[in-house]
Formats: sequence, structure tokens, C-alpha cells
Amino acid sequence: MANYDYDYVEKAVEVSRREFVGILGVVGAVLWTSAYVATDLIQDRTKYIKMRAQGLYKDDGKSKVRQSHNNPAVTEMYKNFAGAPLSSLSEELFHTRYVDRTKLV
Amino acid sequence: MNGFQAQELTRVIEIDQKKCKGCDSCSSFCPTKATHGKYGWVHSVDTEKCVFCGQCLVNCPFGAPKDVVDPVDKVIGKLNNKNVTVVTSVAPSVRVAIGEEFGMEPGSLVTEKMYGALLKAGFVVGDTNYAADVCIMEEGSELIEKIRHYMLGEPTEHHLGAVPQFTSCCPAWVRYVELNYPQLIPNLSSAKSPMMMHGALMKTYGASQLWKKKPEDVFVVAVMPCTAKKFEAARPEFTNAAHYWREKGEQGSYPDVDAVLTTRDLARLFKKLGINLASESGVEDNGPMAQYTGAGTIFGNTGGVMEAALRTAHFVITGKELAPIDFKPVRGLKGVKEASVTITDAKTGKNVTLNLAVVHGIKNNIKPVADQIVAGASKYHFIEVMNCPGGCINGGGQPINPMGTSWLDKAKAVLPWS
Repeated sequence: MANYDYDYVEKAVEVSRREFVGILGVVGAVLWTSAYVATDLIQDRTKYIKMRAQGLYKDDGKSKVRQSHNNPAVTEMYKNFAGAPLSSLSEELFHTRYVDRTKLV
Repeated sequence: MNGFQAQELTRVIEIDQKKCKGCDSCSSFCPTKATHGKYGWVHSVDTEKCVFCGQCLVNCPFGAPKDVVDPVDKVIGKLNNKNVTVVTSVAPSVRVAIGEEFGMEPGSLVTEKMYGALLKAGFVVGDTNYAADVCIMEEGSELIEKIRHYMLGEPTEHHLGAVPQFTSCCPAWVRYVELNYPQLIPNLSSAKSPMMMHGALMKTYGASQLWKKKPEDVFVVAVMPCTAKKFEAARPEFTNAAHYWREKGEQGSYPDVDAVLTTRDLARLFKKLGINLASESGVEDNGPMAQYTGAGTIFGNTGGVMEAALRTAHFVITGKELAPIDFKPVRGLKGVKEASVTITDAKTGKNVTLNLAVVHGIKNNIKPVADQIVAGASKYHFIEVMNCPGGCINGGGQPINPMGTSWLDKAKAVLPWS
């Protein structure tokens, strides 16, 4: 019977210090890039919120009248109908009450 | 079911059991922990806790939550009825988002095209922005009255609520207070939301003075970026127009707002009628019920109501217009924005310092602010609150994440030069 040697010695990975630093660099670059893409995709989820907000500020900027009290149609409505803000008709049509829902069973 | 008034809508959002993968994304957007189910389990909505904001709906990666209130066919039926005047109340945020449903960039401002498409469909155009201006007059006057009474010591004829005053335009926020902070109800502005003001106004002033129609023949369709507005319109107290006419000896019983369409619903209605909004030619002027100012249109952004209110409050108190008109501290996406403004009262010459706060994204940001008021330690006078992160422009009724599904758009967002 042949005399097999069962003592197994793992073949050592021969990496020089230079190569090791290089591998670290590659791994680091891969991690950094994927993290960058991931955060960018997450930020991207909110990009459309900013775009819509800009749309409304653009609408404000190009409006000829930019304060509610200077809206001629509103002034007209108060003159011909509701009287003034907080008048009794205004209170009736433009104001409301709220309910304590913890007490509604 | 607890927490509902009689005849109120009790369900708006439901999760499709077949589509839900149990990823629990909805729970990370739900402001009230109303999405039941653990990770990996099929989720369901607890309607007693739900504020109907629809944040789960617009953020679910699988499209499982759905809006179960669909009035599109009912509205088309009314449009076909020649005896009925169907008027809209289109919210600010709709005009910067509905284009997305027709292949346009997010944020494209399509007011004129939208008016054109609405007219083609047979609507009489009313714009909620007009009512937002009315809302500023009412809510602003209420705030000024409080400032004059509590800070300058003047007498008042009105029944005033507490300071700080909360905005009350956001129906999800109102329901949130009613469910979770009932002790803060006196702090909510008594002013209705622009949508509800517009409904009541169009069925009284609009019907009798502008269109010469019977109020019961005016059918008000609100177009909102919001699913909670469907709940708000169904609240039993909002029948003020009918009450107004009954006092004048007329008959009839009808709500102030008859139907609420979300931005998605309106896009579906246009598509059913064969109208392509993107290729519509624009219509600019639409009569008094659609005449609005820049202050009305920014209501859809977080900080917008505050900025609009400040422009008017500043003028009323000091007698001078706010300058510069853009009030930057309340703009942007910071969770809680603060500002302090010192103004001189033209009547008495006294200085008043107003502490303002703007909160959006209730889930993460409202608790410290609300708890401070409960503890009596709040320094604020006026607080704007919107449930959805970013405000109504990111509401639960808006087109679903325009950048969430297309890889091409994602690549475009990642590349620095595009």
C-alpha cells in the first residue's frame, strides 16, 4: 500500500503588498460606485417633487398679480356677495367646525 | 366602525391582496401606522386609523394599494346631461403633474392646455386657485384678528380659536388632528379648505350671479392631487350652499362638492373621451371663478400657504406690500422650516414679531411640534401643516412616481451631464 501523505496544507495565496493594495483599491471602487448609484437612485425618487414645486413657483413668478388681496375677482365677489372676510355670510359659507373623532363610536 | 360621522365615506384606500408582496414599503410611508401586516405578510388598511392620504399608494413598488372611490363614469354621465352645468375646481398641483400622464416631463406647467381639455370635455372651468385666494382672505383675517386680540390687546367681535393657528387646508392633516390630537382642534383655523369654499361659493354666488342657474343644476367636480379630498367632500357638514338656499325658501339637498377626481382620475376621464391633453391648444381666460394670483397657485407646495398668507397679512397689518415678494425661508424640502418676521402695525405703530413654522411629511415631523403645543411651550403663532412630503404636489392622487419605473429616466438622473 502506497504511503499517501494526508497532511493537507492549503496552498497559500501569494499576494504581494503591492497587489493587495491594488485589490483593495478595486474592491473599494466597486463598493463606492454602487453606493453612489444607490443613493442617487434614492434621491431620484424625490427629484420629481422638486420639479413639480418649480412648476408652481414658475406659475407664481409669471402671474401678473401675486397677492390674494389684489385678486380683482375676489374683491368683486366680496363687494357683490359676501361683504367682507369674516362677515356673517362668510362665516356661514367659508368656515367650518371639527369633530373629536376619539369620542365617535 | 369608530371615528366616523354618520354618512361619511369610510373607505378610500384598500390594498389589493393579490398584488401585495408583503415588502412593508407602505408602512414606511404611512403617517398613522394604518397598514397592518408584518414583513412578508399580505398587508391590509385599518380604515379607522387611515387618514386617506394615499402615500402608500404612490410609493408601493408593486402598485398594490388602490383608490376604491371612482366617480369617473358618474362625471361623464353628468357631462352628457344637457340640463346640468358641470363646473370644475382644479387644484394648483394638478397643473404641474397631469402632463406626466400624457408623456410630458414632471413639473411641466400645463394650465392653458388643461383648461382647453376641460372645456373640450364639456366642463365649465373653475380653478381652486381662485378659492385659495379667498381662503387667504378668510384664514389670514382670522390670524390677523388673533394677532390684534392676543398680541396687541384689542377687543374682538369674533369667536376666536387658540394660538398657534394651524392651517386647515389639508384634509389628511385635519383628520389626523381629529383622531390623534383632539386637544388641538381649537388651534385649527376655522377656515374651510379652498375646495370646500369653492364648492359652497359656486353653488351660491356662482349659480345665481355668474351663470344664472338653479343651484341644484350645478354639479361641482373637484380635481385634486389628493385621495383624502374624497373623504373631505363627503363630510356631512359640507352642505352649506343647500342650507343657504333653504333659508331663502328654496328646496333641495345636495353637497357643496358633488364629486372629487384625483389627477389620475381626470387623466383617465380625458383618455376615455379621446382627449390628448399634450396636443391641446391652450385657453387662457376662464371667467371669475378661475381668476387667480401667484399666491393662490403656490398653495400646492410646502410653505406655499404660509408665503401666500404672509404676503396678505403683511399688507393688511403694515399697509405696505411684502418686499421682496419671494419669501425664501419657507421654501424647500426641510422637514420643519422656521421663520420669524417683525412687522409694524400701521394703526398703532407697535412692532409685532411673528414666529412661523412650516411642517410637511407628518409621519416624521409633526410630533415634536404638536407635543410642544400640548405642553404649552410653543413659541409659534402660525403653523402650516401638509401631510405629504413636499406638499400637495406629491399627494396621493398624483401620477405615480414618474421616475420609478423607467430605467432610461433613471440613467438620465444618474449621469451628471444630462
